[in-house]
Amino acid sequence: MARQTLGLGRILERARLPRRPSLITGSTLIDSVVRLNPISLLANPVMLIVEATFVIVAAMAVDPSAFVPVASVREQGFYVEVAAILLITVWFSTLSDSLAERQAKNTANSLRQLESEVPSKKVVTEGWEREIVLVRSNELLKGDLVLLEKNDVVPVDAEVLEGIAMVDESLVTGESAPVRKAPGDSLIGGSKVVTDTLTARVAVNFGESYVDQMVKMVEASKRPKTPNEVAITTVLFGLSAIFTILIVALLGLSATLGLGADLSVLIALYVCLLPTTIGALLPAIGLSGITRLYERKVVAKSGKAIETAGDTDVILLDKTGTITVGNRQAVEFIPLEGHTEGEVGEAAFLTSWFDDTPEGRSLIRLAYDKGYVPRELNAITLSEVYEFSANTRTSGVKLFHGSTFTLPKGGHTRIRRKFFHEEAGERGMHLSEDETEILKGAPDSLLKAGFTAPTNFSKLVEEISARGDTPMAVARDHQVIGLIRLRDILKAGTKEKIQAVKAMGIRPVMITGDQPLTAKSIAQEVGIEEFVPQAKPEDKYGIVLKEQAQTRVVAMIGDGTNDAPALAVADVGLAMNSGTEAAKEAANMVDLESNPAKIIDVVLLGKQLLMTRGAVTAFSIANDVAKYFAILPVMFATTFPALRALNILGLGLNSAVLSALIFNAVIIPLLIPLAMKGVAFKPSDTMTLFLKNVLVYGVGGVIVPFVGIKLIDLLIGAL
Amino acid sequence: MIDATQTFSIIVILGAALVSGSLLAPYIVRVFNGGPSRFDRILDPIERRLYRLMGAKPEATMGWKEYFLAALLLNVGQMVLAFIILVYQNVLPLNPQGFPGLSLDLAFNTVVSFATNTNLQHYNGEATLSYFSQLGAIQFLQFTSAATGICCMVALVRGFRAGSANLGNFYVDFIRSLTRILLPLCLMAALVFVALGVPQSLGGYVPVKTVEGSTQTILVGPVASLVSIMQLGTNGGGYYGANSAYPFQNPNPATDVLEIYLMLLLPTALVFVFGELLGKKRETRPILIGTYGLFALDLAIAFIPPLPIVGPGLETRFGGFFSTFWTVVTTAVTTGSVNSSLSGIHPLAILSAFMGMLIQATPGGKGVGVMYMVMYIVITVFVVGLMTGRTPEYLGMKITARDVKLVMVAFLIHPLVILVPTVLAYATHAVDAIPGLTSLPTSVGFTQVLYEFTSAAANNGSDFLGASANTPFFNLATAIVILVGRYGPIAVLLALAGSMVGRKRSSEHSLKTDSNTFSLVLIGSILLLVVLTFLPFLILGPVLAYFQGMVNFFG
Repeated sequence: MARQTLGLGRILERARLPRRPSLITGSTLIDSVVRLNPISLLANPVMLIVEATFVIVAAMAVDPSAFVPVASVREQGFYVEVAAILLITVWFSTLSDSLAERQAKNTANSLRQLESEVPSKKVVTEGWEREIVLVRSNELLKGDLVLLEKNDVVPVDAEVLEGIAMVDESLVTGESAPVRKAPGDSLIGGSKVVTDTLTARVAVNFGESYVDQMVKMVEASKRPKTPNEVAITTVLFGLSAIFTILIVALLGLSATLGLGADLSVLIALYVCLLPTTIGALLPAIGLSGITRLYERKVVAKSGKAIETAGDTDVILLDKTGTITVGNRQAVEFIPLEGHTEGEVGEAAFLTSWFDDTPEGRSLIRLAYDKGYVPRELNAITLSEVYEFSANTRTSGVKLFHGSTFTLPKGGHTRIRRKFFHEEAGERGMHLSEDETEILKGAPDSLLKAGFTAPTNFSKLVEEISARGDTPMAVARDHQVIGLIRLRDILKAGTKEKIQAVKAMGIRPVMITGDQPLTAKSIAQEVGIEEFVPQAKPEDKYGIVLKEQAQTRVVAMIGDGTNDAPALAVADVGLAMNSGTEAAKEAANMVDLESNPAKIIDVVLLGKQLLMTRGAVTAFSIANDVAKYFAILPVMFATTFPALRALNILGLGLNSAVLSALIFNAVIIPLLIPLAMKGVAFKPSDTMTLFLKNVLVYGVGGVIVPFVGIKLIDLLIGAL
Repeated sequence: MIDATQTFSIIVILGAALVSGSLLAPYIVRVFNGGPSRFDRILDPIERRLYRLMGAKPEATMGWKEYFLAALLLNVGQMVLAFIILVYQNVLPLNPQGFPGLSLDLAFNTVVSFATNTNLQHYNGEATLSYFSQLGAIQFLQFTSAATGICCMVALVRGFRAGSANLGNFYVDFIRSLTRILLPLCLMAALVFVALGVPQSLGGYVPVKTVEGSTQTILVGPVASLVSIMQLGTNGGGYYGANSAYPFQNPNPATDVLEIYLMLLLPTALVFVFGELLGKKRETRPILIGTYGLFALDLAIAFIPPLPIVGPGLETRFGGFFSTFWTVVTTAVTTGSVNSSLSGIHPLAILSAFMGMLIQATPGGKGVGVMYMVMYIVITVFVVGLMTGRTPEYLGMKITARDVKLVMVAFLIHPLVILVPTVLAYATHAVDAIPGLTSLPTSVGFTQVLYEFTSAAANNGSDFLGASANTPFFNLATAIVILVGRYGPIAVLLALAGSMVGRKRSSEHSLKTDSNTFSLVLIGSILLLVVLTFLPFLILGPVLAYFQGMVNFFG
C-alpha cells in the first residue's frame, strides 16, 4: 500500500534567509540591456541568431526598397513591428539572465555578510617568542595562526589548534546554542567565541572560503557549463542548424519559384521555430538551481555536483542527526532481580551528576521527575569521577562514605576540576570498605569488565534493543543492578523525506553504530529496509565503493576526518560545516547549517533542476507546431490561396505572424518564474513522473500556443 | 476510404510479415552470433574460401572505424567493378540486344544508386542494360548492398549490447548474411515467382507475331531472381523501367501480394533481431510499436481519399487499393519499387510516401531502418528523459553531450541532402532540362523534384522522373545525395555504437524505454521532429496539390 507522498514544497527544508530585496531594480534592468551586446550573447547562440535577424528586419524597416523583391515598401510599418518584437525577445532573454544572477547574488551576499572584514589577532612566532599582531582579516593567509579570545569574531574559516571554547554559530547556522570547539574542530568564519580562548590555524585565504567560492560561481560568465547543459546546448544548436537550412531553402525556393514570401515573414517563422524559449531560459534555470541550494544554506562547489545529486541511486544516511535528533533520552528505569526501580534511579542519578551530555541530563531529569534523588548526594562532592572513556565505554563515580561535605557555590564543574582524576584503567579496582563505586555503560562493556548480572539481564537487554531503544546498564560495586531504557527521538519530517526518496526509486541505507536489533527497529520505524549496524565511520568508504561497483550513484554526508575518504569517492558528498577541514575539502557540497538530513533535500533539488530543464526544452520544441499553423498559411497566401484551408486557427491574415511572434516573445517572461522556482513535482516513480511531465509540458506545449496565439490575434484584432 | 475486405487484406499481409519476421529473427541472430547450424558442413568451407579470397581474417574483431571503413571500402570496390561492367557492356558477353555502354554520369549514378540499396533508376532497364549488366552489376549490387545494411545494424546493436568489447568483424557478417540469409531466401522466392509466371531466362528478347499481324518483342530475361532480391533486400530497382507495373515483373495479384510481403519481411524481422541480439527482447517493443505505429499512420493518410483513384495513364491492373498500398509499403521500407506510376497516385498517398521516406524507419530499409530508430530513441530519451529528474539513460547508459552531438548530426544529414539540392535544382535551372516539368503547376512540379531528392537521400529509389532525369545535373546530384545520405548516418551511428562499447551501465530506475508509454511518446517525438523539419516543403508540394483539388500528379 503506497502511502501518498507529499509535494516537494512540503518535504524540503524551508528556505530560511532574510527577506531578499526586490529583484527588478534599476541595476538589473540596466544589466539586462548591457547584455544585449552581441559579445555577451556569444555564449547563447540561439539568442545571437535572433539578434542578427533583428538587425536584418530593422534594416528592412529603415529602407524597405533596398530589399525588393523579398520586401515591399507598403509593409514598412509591419517591419517596424516585427523588428521591435525581435529585439524584445532577446531582451526578455537577457532579462531572465539578469534576474537569475541578481537573485543568486542576493542570496550569496546575505550569506557573505557573515564574513566581513574584522580586526583579528594574528599570532607571529619567532623562535620561542610569540607575538600578537593586530591585522585585518583580509590580510590573513592560509596557515596563519590567530588568537581568538572571548567575544572575538572568527575572521575566516579556521581549525582549532589549542584550547576549548564555546562558539556561537547562530549567525551562520541559525543554531542558537553555542557549540563546544576543541582542537581539530573547524571554525566558521563569522561565528563568535563566547567563552574561553582558542588558537586556530587559518584554513583558507581570505576570499577563498565556501561562501566566496559560491559568490564567484553565480557570475554566469564565469560559471562553466555543466555536462547536462552542454548536451542541451548541442540539441538546441542542432535544431537551430536544421531550421537555418529550412529557412534558407524556403528563401531560395521562394525566390526561384516566385512564391512571393516576404523576408520578414520568413524571419518571423525562423525565430518562432528556433528554440528561443529554452535558449533564453537555460542559463537562468541552471543558476536558480544553485540558488535554491544556497537558500537552504548548502554550498555546492560546482553546478555539476547538483546535477549528479539528481542521479542518485543510493543515499547513505547517518542515523544520528539524520533520522534521529542526536540525543537519546532516558525514558525508563528497569530494575534487575533483587533490586528496585528506586535503587536504579538513584544510582543513575549519581553516575550522571558530572555527566554533561544530553543523555546524562535526561537521566537526572527522569530520576528527579520520579523522585529518586539519592541520599548520598552530599557525598558526591568528595567523590572521584570517572569520565566517559571510549576504552571502557563506561562512566561513573566512586563515593567515599561518611563525608558530609555540602555542595559549594559554583556547581559541580568547579568541583570536578578539583577532584578530576584520569584513571580510567583503575576503574572497578581496589575498592575499600567505605567506598562505593557506581558505573553506567553499555551492557556488554560492563560484563566484559567482569561484573556480575542476574539471569534475566540478557533477555531484558535484548527486549529493549528489539523495540529500537538503547539499553544502558547501571552497576553498583561490580554488580549490575538495573537497566535504563534510552530512546532515540526521531527527527520531525524525516519519515516524509525518506518516503519521498523511496518513491523516486532511490535506496536509503541507514548507517549506525547501534546494535543490529536497535538499528533494525529504528530503520523499520522510518521505513528504511537496508541498514548497516555497528558501523564505524571508516566503514562508509567500503560501502560507497561496494555500491559504486554496481554502477550506482551514491550520495552521503560526513563530518569527521574519518569520513573524508568516503566523501571524496562518493558521487555526492555533503560535508557538515561543523565538521573537520578534511571532510569539507573532500566533499563537493557543504551544509553551513550542519544538518545531515539536508542530503535528501540536495537530491530532490538536483532532480528538480534536471526536470525543469527537460520540461522547458520539451515545451519549447512542442510550441513550434502551433507557430507553423499560424504562419505557413499566411506566408504563401497571396500565391496559393488554397493554403488558407490550413489556417485552422482562423487568424487574421495580417496579424497571424505578429501573434505567433508575440507569443514567442512573451512566453519567455511568463516562464521566468517557473525557471527560477523549478517545476513543482510530487516525488513518485520514474514512469509516473515521466508520463505526468510529458502530458503537462509536452502535450501541453503543443496545445497552449494554439490558445495563446488565438488570444493574441483576437487582441490585435480588437485594437 | 477502404472497405472491410481491403482492411482485412492489409491486416493479413502485415500480420504475415510480423509473424514470419518474428520467427525468422532467432535464426538471423544465430547467424550473426556464429551459432551452430545444420548448414555449417556445406557453408563453412565455402565461407572460408571467400574470406581467403577477400584477404580477410575472420577471427579479427573491429572497432567502429575499422568496421565502417571495411564496409565502405568493399562497397566502393563493388561500385568500381559494376561501373566497368556498365560502361563496357557493349564489349562484354551476354548482350544479345547489342546495347551500347552507359554514359559515364549515368553509370556513376547507377552504381552508386545500387551499391547503396537506393536503386534510383535514370534508365529503362529493358532498353539499356545487357543480361550481363543486369546480373553482374545490378543484381550483384542488390545482394551486397542489402548485406551491407544488415551488417551495419548488427554492428550497431553489438555496440549497445552489455558487455561487448567490439563491433564484430564486417567481412564475416557480410559473407554470412549473404550465404545464410539473402541467398537462401532469394532462391526460395525466385522459385515461387517462376512458378507464378515471372520469366527467368538468358535467351534474348523474343519477337512474336500478334494475332493482329504486327510484330511484338517479348522482353524476357533473368527477371525472377531480380524481383526476389529487389523486394527482399528492399532494393526496389526493377528489371524494367516501369518496375513492377510491368506485367513480366509482376504478372498477377498473387505475385503482387507476394512482392509486398517480401518487401516487409526482412525489415520487420530485423526489428525483432534488435531486441534478441541485444539480449533484451523487451527493447524491441519501442521499435516495433514505433515503426508499425508510424506505418499505420502512413496507411491512414494514404487511404483518406476515396478509391478507386483513376486518372489518365494510371496503372489499373491491381486497382487503386493495391497501387496505393504498394506505394505506402515501398516507401515505408525504402524499397522504392513501384507497381503503378506515381503520377497517378493521389496527393495524400504521395504525402504518405514522403512521410515514409522522411522518417526512414517505418520500418525503413533493412538494417538502416532500425539504426534510424535507435537515433530517434536516443534523441527522444534525451529530450523527454530529463523530465524524470535524472540524466537520461538508454539501456542503462547515460547519454552524454557527445552522444547527443552524434545523433543530431545523423538527423541533420537528411534535411541537408534533401533541401539543398532541391533548391539548387531550381536555382541553377537544372529542372528546365527535364522535359515538361516547368510547364506543370508549381505544386506538381515541385513535388516531383522534392520527391527525387527525398527518395535519393532515403536510399529509397522510387521516383516520378525516371529516365527523364538522365541529365548530368540529376545524375551527379542524386549520386552525391545518395552517397552522403547512406554513408553519413551509418558512419555517425556506428561511431555512437562504438562509444557505447564497454560503457558503464547503471540504474534500475531510469526511464523505461521498453514501456508502451515511452513507445507512444517516441511516435509523437518522431512525428514532431520530422514534421518540424519538412512541413513547409510538404505544404508546397503534396499538401498544396491536395488543397488545389488534384487527384493525381499528371498536372
